[in-house]
Amino acid sequence: MKRLKRAMSLAFAILFFTSFASLSRAQEPDIKTHTLKNGMKILVQEDHSIPNVALYIFYRIGSRNERPGTTGLSHFFEHMMFNGAKKYGKGKFDETMEAAGGSNNAYTSQNVTVYQDWFPRSSMELIFDLEADRIENLSFDPKVIESERGVVASERRNSIDASNFGILSEQLWAAAFTAHPYQWPVVGWMVDIENWTMADLRHHFEMGYSPSNATMVVVGDVTGDEIFKLAEKYIEPIASHDPPPKVTTREPEQLGERRVVVKKFAQLPILMMGYHVPETANPDYYALQVLQAIMFSGQSSRMYQRIVDKDQLALFVNGGSGFSFDPTLFTINAQPKAGVAPDAVERAIYEELDRLKTDLVADQEMEKAKNILLATFYRQMKTINGKANVLGSYEVFFGDYRKLFTAADDFNRVTKEDVRRVAQKYFTEKRRTVATLIPEKLGQENSNQKPEGRDR
Amino acid sequence: MKRLLTLSLAAMMAISIAVPSKAENGDLKLPPYKKVKLKNGMTLLLMEQREVPIISFDFIIKAGSVADPAGKEGLASLAAGLLRKGTKTRSADQLSAELDFIGGQLGASADNDYTEGAAEFIKKDLGKGLELLTDVLLNPTFPQDELTKMLKQRIDGIKSAKDRAQSVIGNYFESYLYGDHPYGRSSGGDERSLAAITREDVVKFYQTYYTPSGTILAVVGDFNTAEMERALTEKFGAWPARQMPAIKLPDAMPFKGKKLLLVDKPDSTQTYYQIGNLGINRTNPDRVYIQVVNTLFGGRFTSMLNTELRIETGLTYGARSSFSQRRVRGPFVISTFTRNEKTEEAIDRTLGILKRLHEKGITEEELKSAKNYIKGQYPPRIETSDQLASLIAELEAYNLDASEVSGFYARIDSMTLDDARRIIKQYYPIDDLVFVLIGKASEIESIAKKYAPKIDTKAISQPGF
Repeated sequence: MKRLKRAMSLAFAILFFTSFASLSRAQEPDIKTHTLKNGMKILVQEDHSIPNVALYIFYRIGSRNERPGTTGLSHFFEHMMFNGAKKYGKGKFDETMEAAGGSNNAYTSQNVTVYQDWFPRSSMELIFDLEADRIENLSFDPKVIESERGVVASERRNSIDASNFGILSEQLWAAAFTAHPYQWPVVGWMVDIENWTMADLRHHFEMGYSPSNATMVVVGDVTGDEIFKLAEKYIEPIASHDPPPKVTTREPEQLGERRVVVKKFAQLPILMMGYHVPETANPDYYALQVLQAIMFSGQSSRMYQRIVDKDQLALFVNGGSGFSFDPTLFTINAQPKAGVAPDAVERAIYEELDRLKTDLVADQEMEKAKNILLATFYRQMKTINGKANVLGSYEVFFGDYRKLFTAADDFNRVTKEDVRRVAQKYFTEKRRTVATLIPEKLGQENSNQKPEGRDR
Repeated sequence: MKRLLTLSLAAMMAISIAVPSKAENGDLKLPPYKKVKLKNGMTLLLMEQREVPIISFDFIIKAGSVADPAGKEGLASLAAGLLRKGTKTRSADQLSAELDFIGGQLGASADNDYTEGAAEFIKKDLGKGLELLTDVLLNPTFPQDELTKMLKQRIDGIKSAKDRAQSVIGNYFESYLYGDHPYGRSSGGDERSLAAITREDVVKFYQTYYTPSGTILAVVGDFNTAEMERALTEKFGAWPARQMPAIKLPDAMPFKGKKLLLVDKPDSTQTYYQIGNLGINRTNPDRVYIQVVNTLFGGRFTSMLNTELRIETGLTYGARSSFSQRRVRGPFVISTFTRNEKTEEAIDRTLGILKRLHEKGITEEELKSAKNYIKGQYPPRIETSDQLASLIAELEAYNLDASEVSGFYARIDSMTLDDARRIIKQYYPIDDLVFVLIGKASEIESIAKKYAPKIDTKAISQPGF
């Protein structure tokens, strides 16, 4: 009944208490990297804490690479990647993986499509065989496409139509972006879901699914060498081709506040607003994250204290922005309590934002925000799955996974003045779009409501 | 005065927590932990995991919503939520400020059987963290203004949840299935029951049920067991011993025949439905075998339900089934959704799959696949210190032990096709079924009538479930 030896050593625990500044390159965790001849980059972190493996493949293609008429195609395509290839036909991908103790999922965002496999070490080679088959030889069976269209339509009804937050968020983005592709929902407009053609699908596959357009991340009970060997055997023979055309559209500067109203059957209203902020790789990213923590993280945050606790205006308030390649939105969402007008919540939010623009935040608040950011970071990395996701996200969105290891320094360098500066720069009336959902009474509602990343 | 966490992200990445390691016989083995019974009756569970400087706590108070007085449903849940809203020496604001400053986590909630809370701190902040945890457990004052605030929040929270069928269908189903049985009460209460709760009720609930003998505290992480035992004994040993009254919980009886509840949500483009009856309790000796069969029936992507309703027909985004295990029999539930026009076809197919399970059973190959799947997916569920703390506290609360983990794989391996046949016959209802549908009544009411001789209807905006 002896326990297997674990790779974890006390050295890491000691490292944990070392201040950022004293961390040298040599102390970074050992990430092994290798680029295949076809251009696919692979990152491996050995972690033998459990006899399992998390394997992620990030494709740099998402709804930003779509066009009007085929919106949602990236997400639909993500579904199709599970529906059969050459060696493993219809239904066999999932069936084979599950029978070998593995499970999988995938998500599509505005920017990327990400495939995730979680499996016991024992089925490692099989996973490579499965992945290679669908990257190289995905099949396009018209019957399967029609059936999957129904699945995606159901997913859309569930996440948008049946969710007031889904409906309103979709309208917010559609109004905030007039030129850039972030204006349409990741799941796609219903009418586009109904109208994709086989040709659209083939084109999308050829455009986005080149090995050179992907990064693989493997974390778990493996060694770099064995992963690289398997990748050379299974993935390297797959030919690469041109990546998707560059997204050249830049959203023109917004010249004034935009407002959207959705009226539908609901018990409570919703308020959402979006401010244009830069892409993830922009240097202001870190200051905006600190601002986010000060305003929204924890029950001692400014917005919670003011909106939820003291003034009791809303059920909740949250805010933030996700990883993105192009300038995106920092969204703020709140649900007004029964009997509270949404504009009362809106005014209170502006007052808190204005306070941030005029007065410097206290030292204590800055420290708290940085502590929260680091603790949150840590929690994302407790598992092999979390590590794989974070490593891959940094590689893709910052252009280098090593930015992960300087992130603590990058957060730490943010000053009170930086927070005030980004508040003044980005949280202006001109840069914002405000969307409100107003409940309609029973019988008045229109059942066919028109109009984000999602799991399979 | 720098109090920045000296966490280096590089170091974080380099950390592997936990732990379930493989024993030589191929079975998993839970790391050893020490059980201590304090003089006042409180149970401590201590598991050292020295690799990462993090300490995770999990506490269980052995009273959940089953202890709510009739008409005051949501009381246990409210008491749990109010723990960090004021103590003898700290206001709610102070508690939050101190907790957030160290990037810590602390919270509690109630489910049917028990109240459970969790906290997590960086090792260097253990002193402060333990102080906060002890304070909220032993000295809460339940200030009136905080109670009033939270009640309003929660009542509106129910309205908000009712705007999304998926988030409330379970409440409707359990209420309809269990009726007057305590499991028929919604853990979070409803619009009316919450409004009836007073501060006196909360204080009384706390005084009655938050007792050392009714409390289990599990700690997993980077500490020395002897030192932690001393620290916890000092903090909690002073909690005066009190006997927690037994909470009567009769077994529930399965519903005989068929009945259906239709909840009208007039803006629905899809019908959300659950079908089921009573399932099993937490200590049912067949629980592992049931897990194996249910993996095949509705517990994974290629399950029979998901294959029929999603993969083959594209009727839904997902279909699943589950047995929730509680002190007495919890619900067995099939759940999915489909667009209004396809409601009948989807329900017919769902019932067809249930029938096929009974008629055709499962194959040797499927049995093997399910066994591999469950074993392959299990280690990541006990990967981190918080998962382990929650697991050992839960085992203790239900009088189970570490063999739940160490014997898990062997138990799975022992299952045969004969066992599977017996499990299907014994645990999967086929003639006695309870249906709950949430959808646009004007479009689906006539269809609903087909499935049960008795139909009940409600509007989603009507208070309660």
